[in-house]
Amino acid sequence: MDITTRLAPGLCLKNPVLSASGTFAYGEEFSRMFDLSLLGGVVTKGISLHSKEGNPTPRVCETSCGMLNAIGLENIGVDAFIAQKLPFLGTFDTEVVVNFFGTDEDEYVHMAQKLDIEGVSAIEMNVSCPNIKKGGIEFGKDPQILNRLVAQVRKSTTKPLIVKLSPMVTHIGEMALAAQEGGADALTCSNTFPAMAIDENTWKPMLGNITGGLSGPAVKPIALRIVWEVSRQAAIPVIASGGVTSWRDAVQFLLAGASAVEIGSFSLRDPLCFGGIIQGLIRYMQDNGLESITEIIGKLRTP
Amino acid sequence: MKECNALVKDNRQVAQDTCLMTLACEFSPFTPGQFLMLRLTGTCEPFLRRPLAVLSYREGAVELLYKVIGRGTSLLAGTKKGEELSVLGPLGKGFSDPRPEEEAVYIAGGTGLPPILAMAERTGRGRLIIGARTKDDIPLWQRMQNIGDVEVTTTTEDGSLGIRGVATQALGDVLKTIQQPCMIYACGPAGMLKQAARLAQDFGARCEVSIEERMACGFGVCSACVVRTTTGNQRVCTQGPVFDASCIEWGQ
Repeated sequence: MDITTRLAPGLCLKNPVLSASGTFAYGEEFSRMFDLSLLGGVVTKGISLHSKEGNPTPRVCETSCGMLNAIGLENIGVDAFIAQKLPFLGTFDTEVVVNFFGTDEDEYVHMAQKLDIEGVSAIEMNVSCPNIKKGGIEFGKDPQILNRLVAQVRKSTTKPLIVKLSPMVTHIGEMALAAQEGGADALTCSNTFPAMAIDENTWKPMLGNITGGLSGPAVKPIALRIVWEVSRQAAIPVIASGGVTSWRDAVQFLLAGASAVEIGSFSLRDPLCFGGIIQGLIRYMQDNGLESITEIIGKLRTP
Repeated sequence: MKECNALVKDNRQVAQDTCLMTLACEFSPFTPGQFLMLRLTGTCEPFLRRPLAVLSYREGAVELLYKVIGRGTSLLAGTKKGEELSVLGPLGKGFSDPRPEEEAVYIAGGTGLPPILAMAERTGRGRLIIGARTKDDIPLWQRMQNIGDVEVTTTTEDGSLGIRGVATQALGDVLKTIQQPCMIYACGPAGMLKQAARLAQDFGARCEVSIEERMACGFGVCSACVVRTTTGNQRVCTQGPVFDASCIEWGQ
């Protein structure tokens, strides 16, 4: 049985299950709980050029079937990441996908150049960040800005380039094509959804940052629709991210067109969930007489 | 740290909105201040685990003393003997022992009692100060009176038990009476911890505080539960919850 999945030239995962950015830190804590080599890939916490302190607390809040977070992209910065975290990730037999972001085009380019090194299997661009030089509009919200940004980053790296799309756009397919034409090898669909929660007793927001990103099972049906829509329009592979909690969810995302799935919030609750999801997927394929994962990907039966 | 399903051996109310749960699980070694992340089994709702400080661990049984505050703790309070909970732990860094020459002073307020009581029971000596709003909020009264050589002082805001006032007033009074070096252990509301840290400084005592902050994972990956320290943000779940009080930037 073949459960390998190809995301880009030179990037083939041994199975379609990855961690998601921001819920896996740099892998050290999880490595004390299970062998990271069982994963198709590890996606690191989002890295920026300089270290970032993040938002005031409280930074998380539980909601119905999910959670809000406003961590504020706290991270140690790319140089410290390369020196202190990357070598450790290299000791596992898994692909290392480094998630990164910038505040302007130059910073994205600079980051891509710095990450064009041994030990990095691919880079995943977070484009749901405000463009400081363009009045704060998110890179991922304007197809022209996104296309240009992706093209600039593409020229600056030899690594497979994954663009993590923002879900907060009118036409997600248009953004997918803008990234694809800019030279993206694959697309991650998608990010958290801007949301908020209020304490009716104190009349205060539940998060220090007032608003945050919604994730978890609550967003899965939306993520499923986005994956389906993007994979119909884009020619490049799609990585699903949004509320995966089980092998059943993973199969559904594959049917919708994803070539791989990232598991995020659920692994905060159940850090050992990865193995069970991979095993469940294998059992599902055995039970259904499937030889290859490609027999599922995008095979949704529509009327 | 490990994840396991643990059988509820006992779960009962011991004060107003406060329950004592006993779980059957192996979690050795355990240091007071460490905590577990708990969730119900067989359901995705509530989504996140709840962090609860361990009160005691002995021969395969963990005691958890917890305040029923919201949806998650209400559901925990509703679990019955024989049911199973999913447990992750033990997590975090606990309190350090007092030096032989030091007098240990423990102070707890609000939801801060479990790790403090755990520490007092571990050392079996020192002064224990419990602060509550009213008499009915204080659990395990008898048990607290019988911890080795520990002398208990209680404060209530309404004067229904012990001294009328707040725990930090009593802490100041207790510290005045002690001649030898002191080690203060504190857990409770931020204002109380800040005041305990200040008193420790005034009296030249060492002080460790157990910090409460909203968490998602409890094992160091999500960076939700940070606290500002003199060396930058630290994660309460893995670098704490117990910190040297002099390292915390208390703010306003």
